[in-house]
Amino acid sequence: MRLAVSVSPHIKAGYDTPWVMRQVIYALMPAFLASLYFFRQDALFVILNCIITCVATEEIISRIRKKPSPIKDGSAVLTGILLAFVLPPSIKWYGASLGAIFAILVGKHLFGGLGNNIFNPALVGRAFLMGAFPKMMTTWSEPFSLQVVTEATPLALRKFDHILTPISHLFLGNTSGCIGETSSLVLILGGIYLIVRKVADWRVPLSIIITSALISFVFYLVNPVNGSVLFHLFGGGLMLGAFFMATDPVTTPVSKKGRFVFGVCCGALIMVIRYFSGLPEGVMYSILFMNAFVPLIDRVFRPKSFGAMGTVRREKYEG
Amino acid sequence: MIRVEERKLPQHEVSVERFFSVKRLYLLLSQHTGKPSKLLVNKGDSLEESSLIAEGDGLISSSLSSPVKGKIKDIVSFNHPVLKKDTAVVIDVDGCSPKVYSFNKKADFLKKEDLLSKVKHAGIVGMGGAAFPTHIKLSPPKRIDTLIVNGCECEPYLSCDYRLMVEKCEEIFKGVELVCRIVSPQRVIFAIEENKPEAIKKFNSVISTKKYSLPQQKLAILPSYYPQGGEKQLIYALTKRRVPLGGLPFDVGCLVHNVGTIFAIYEAVYYDKPLIERVVTFAGGALREPKNLLLKLGTTIAELFEEGILSFKEEPVKIVYGGPMMGIALKGLNYPIMKGTSGILFLTQKEVDLREESVCIRCARCVDACPMGLLPLEFVKKVKNEEYSSLEDFYIKDCIECGACSFTCPAKIPIVHYIKVGKKYAVSS
Repeated sequence: MRLAVSVSPHIKAGYDTPWVMRQVIYALMPAFLASLYFFRQDALFVILNCIITCVATEEIISRIRKKPSPIKDGSAVLTGILLAFVLPPSIKWYGASLGAIFAILVGKHLFGGLGNNIFNPALVGRAFLMGAFPKMMTTWSEPFSLQVVTEATPLALRKFDHILTPISHLFLGNTSGCIGETSSLVLILGGIYLIVRKVADWRVPLSIIITSALISFVFYLVNPVNGSVLFHLFGGGLMLGAFFMATDPVTTPVSKKGRFVFGVCCGALIMVIRYFSGLPEGVMYSILFMNAFVPLIDRVFRPKSFGAMGTVRREKYEG
Repeated sequence: MIRVEERKLPQHEVSVERFFSVKRLYLLLSQHTGKPSKLLVNKGDSLEESSLIAEGDGLISSSLSSPVKGKIKDIVSFNHPVLKKDTAVVIDVDGCSPKVYSFNKKADFLKKEDLLSKVKHAGIVGMGGAAFPTHIKLSPPKRIDTLIVNGCECEPYLSCDYRLMVEKCEEIFKGVELVCRIVSPQRVIFAIEENKPEAIKKFNSVISTKKYSLPQQKLAILPSYYPQGGEKQLIYALTKRRVPLGGLPFDVGCLVHNVGTIFAIYEAVYYDKPLIERVVTFAGGALREPKNLLLKLGTTIAELFEEGILSFKEEPVKIVYGGPMMGIALKGLNYPIMKGTSGILFLTQKEVDLREESVCIRCARCVDACPMGLLPLEFVKKVKNEEYSSLEDFYIKDCIECGACSFTCPAKIPIVHYIKVGKKYAVSS
């Protein structure tokens, strides 16, 4: 009889890390289909390009670092999809590839690989491209026709031209924008799936959405040209960011209270950037910015232990 | 706290079966928390059933009586699930008629001190697994207002407490009566998880008859969470009092006893029968027939297989001493039953999880699962980085090692292992 000897517990939950990653990928499927519907082959090419480049980069780096191949955990595929979703459909192939390489190499492995990165890798990739190829990153295509026009995104139209896109277009996704961010409807569906399957904590998206909603409501009351609450919630990358970027477990706080704080700060920063900065959109920078504060949030909002809350004082028993 | 698949069937519904016709017993001297018992006998001595073999040594210790009539063949070093090796008294059983214990009516009039000394003499320890000497728990330095009778049995697979509650319900109430005479609490709470309907029914009907002279009594039906039966969790669930860090239940006026312990107190007082036998659950997918057996302490698992009491359906990949969440993996079958043995599990490949550890993705499932409000992932990180000095700032000593964190970890990190290592170094630094 060959017996395994290890420390308790001897039974464990059925899921594992690849399962968690798969759930996120499943949750992104509605948005994937929507991106194919609106941006056709352009979306497909960018998404495939990012996935393949991410996976290849991960494999090569692991071989150089002489680590077991982490491909099976599915995190590189997920990073690829998320990166593609925050790129314009018309981006040149080498732009997308470089972004993917940067995301995995700098965003993930320079920090020590999965579990150790401080910043969301997909957003690191996008931030790099914003700096390196600003033109490529702000050239947009119209949905369906894929005509590359200088037509700006709804948020840019609001900011620079004071034109408000109808809410229904923002909700369904019939606007120009990044590949995966245009349709709030499908992102919310995916987000609900994540929360129901307990893969993502509802605290983060909820606090981002509520904070943004409250701030935009105040600004809307001041001047309707600032855009309504729904305009800001459904416009730009807010839903994608709230449900899929800010919920990345590696780069968010571990305590429940900390997650609320993280979400509230993200939501507030998004609106500050949208209203007061030179940029039309602030989801990426707010999440990256808040990622840097995660260790601090974890330290300040460390939950109190059961025993530390205990008191020797004996309450009088009534009853 | 977490939900864990119970896997209590079929043993949950199997009546306790007695198996006393063993040939040889290995009685370990460290069957309890505290100092090992001091041996009073020598090799070659003849023993009567329930005669004292070893007595408590020091403040926290317990005595030990012979489970059978027999002769001491040898005193050897034998397998111990926790200590690896421990001194064991090897008794060759004299197979003649077993001792008959008669009911002692006078016990109803015994004073508190006499009751306590009977419990101490009987060598009773907590039978839920921790095996802390019961006579010490029964003489708390502070006043107790709430006695909690723990019938949660929140560990999967195990069913020995449930069977005892169903089959020895009246005896348990008489035992509770005795405990009340010793510590005189203002109320008694019977805590049973909702997955034990038969026990709930029986306890409810006995409580409603009010035939036992108990103070205010209440049956609390708790949802089946793990680790609901943990002392601190149970006290909090029932009274909303939190046992402070480093404190004990009496610090919040509570006393918690497992139903098995209560039954042992009953037998010790009314029958003058020391703790020499207990019910043990034998379960797991590798067994042909899971059973609840009433066994003499010192019975080896190997003998149960030799005698054909247990048999394998398939080869187990893991044998666990205790429950699957907190039990200890054994290296073979040559281990004896002890006072705190609630079950022995024979688990198959399908039941255990031997997947390899991968990296932590900080998903914080362990944080949500921890019943003590700790950050298990921080312990892992700090132990891996050998930053032992900061472990206490994260209240590592508050950890009860329930295993809820490791259970929920998608990266299959043996978090409890790291915590045990951390505790060792946190203490020494």
